[in-house]
Amino acid sequence: MTVTDPRTSTPAKVTPIGPNGEEVTSKVPFHMKDSLHVPAERYYSREFYDLEKEKLWSHVWQMACREEEIPDPGDFVEYEIVGKSFLLVRQNDGSVKALHNACRHRGTQLGKGSGRFPGGQIVCPFHGWRWKTDGQCSHVFGREGFSDGVLSRDEIDLPECLVDTWGGHVWINMDRDAGPLREALFPVADILDHVNVGNMRVKWWKEVVLNCNWKLAQEAFFESYHVKQTHPQLYTQHNQDDADETNRSLPEYQSFVNGHGLFQGGDAQRGSTHGNATNLLEMARVLWSGQDAMTLERDLWVMESVSGKVDPTDPQFGLATVDALFEYWESAGIPAYERRPEALKLWGGDVFMFPNYLMLPMYNNCLCYRVTPYNDDPEQCKFEVWSLTAYPEGNEPGRPESLGRFDKDDADHWGLIPRQDFSNIERMQQGIKAPSFTETRLAAKWELTISNMHEELDRRLAAEY
Amino acid sequence: MPWVTVEPSGVRFEVREGESVAEAAWRQGYVWPTKCWGQADCMSCFTKIVDGELSAVPAGTEELDAMRLKMVARVRGPMVRLACRLTVKKDGLVLHKQGVRVPEDVPNSNQAITG
Ligand code: FES
Repeated sequence: MTVTDPRTSTPAKVTPIGPNGEEVTSKVPFHMKDSLHVPAERYYSREFYDLEKEKLWSHVWQMACREEEIPDPGDFVEYEIVGKSFLLVRQNDGSVKALHNACRHRGTQLGKGSGRFPGGQIVCPFHGWRWKTDGQCSHVFGREGFSDGVLSRDEIDLPECLVDTWGGHVWINMDRDAGPLREALFPVADILDHVNVGNMRVKWWKEVVLNCNWKLAQEAFFESYHVKQTHPQLYTQHNQDDADETNRSLPEYQSFVNGHGLFQGGDAQRGSTHGNATNLLEMARVLWSGQDAMTLERDLWVMESVSGKVDPTDPQFGLATVDALFEYWESAGIPAYERRPEALKLWGGDVFMFPNYLMLPMYNNCLCYRVTPYNDDPEQCKFEVWSLTAYPEGNEPGRPESLGRFDKDDADHWGLIPRQDFSNIERMQQGIKAPSFTETRLAAKWELTISNMHEELDRRLAAEY
Repeated sequence: MPWVTVEPSGVRFEVREGESVAEAAWRQGYVWPTKCWGQADCMSCFTKIVDGELSAVPAGTEELDAMRLKMVARVRGPMVRLACRLTVKKDGLVLHKQGVRVPEDVPNSNQAITG
């Protein structure tokens, strides 16, 4: 696949760098030795975790929030990562700033969770120091009590991170000298632009805390090789002898520069991702009821209307469904995208954006995962799940709120599919600490995007800043 | 857009849908006493409804809890509200609040310190 970098209009190199040399490995404990094994300590070592804090999180572009979480000037949301807190604040000119969330006096956090600064003022709850929403200090309570020089402007204005937006998300980088966002997200942002994820808005989002390293948790979503064993209800839709171990849906896996990767199974010729399912309508129902994100109820209505004309077991049903979906979006005023093979191929695909964000587009929806370390513990993570979809123009919902945090086995709040995944994830974290277990071993055919992520991580950890 | 009147100064201004009375005042350059700038924290913005009660949206739990916990008893009362949480649905609300006025010069909210 040829991907053209839109910024330069010259073909950029998308292929991954591969295993690292001595200049990297000599600087990183528990480094990757080859692309087929991941040393187990990378998932629980405190030393490794601390190095990630210092060299990865402090210098990498990361997804901080959704744009619609802060629609109006003065709206804010807090983003916390490895014990550091930032306030994402919508400015009067529509831009976003990411301010270090600490009073310049004695460090009190200036905002928690999400909310508004309605008077355009951020006020410290401790002694009442104030800043404008752009971080400029506007008032020091009892100024006369401070010595000369203690309150110079550059000391008391709130420091900022770099901020940029892509795909309806706000991304930040704590390192003010970092390169541009789109370079860091290359080439996966360009690939996702084929389905215009930037048109989508939050339908729902919620989170779970897992007793598992953040990397181990996200890697569970890097391949579809686990589907047959973990999610039998999805697999039984396929017309395949149970004894046959090969995954006939044959997704293609690609590793890219910058640690990114994807798999996609779309059969662009037929225009269907479920190339081998016997009954696409049944399959869609199972995906909707088990997850409610990649397939939504409105997609089912469209498919059901098609099933009145074409039998869902007929191979033509897939193509008729694609026609019907594009027609429906157009008639409902829902912004879509060009119907091209690159777009349809992504349906049911899974795009990993280094270091910790996944986007799984389907139709005009996208399921997203963000996995971050939790509680300053290498063996805990916060796993957030978003359901995005495109709404009819002018009918986008307002400021979304998280539905909350739910237990991993809470069947009222998590569908069958995520519950099946979560239950494996914690068992992996326990298992990799077995005395005989020194490294994971990966399938060259299906699991190399995992080592590609780790190899990029090692390069980050070895970097001198 | 609904109008509110504030006694004793007689100041009148418009409040947008979903916007609080204090925010509307600040946005239009009026002084409305505050220390926390709208975080339901300082209680300085408290105001009393003197007329047109039905034009006000009733207090939600956040506002009620804040007043119960942080407002001195002598100020509390059935008609007392936090202006930074008080929203309005139609014309005719009359409030009482000392210290609400048209600023003499620059609104203090945006007066940047120098040096
Ligand atoms: S402005 Fe402080 S409580 Fe309303």
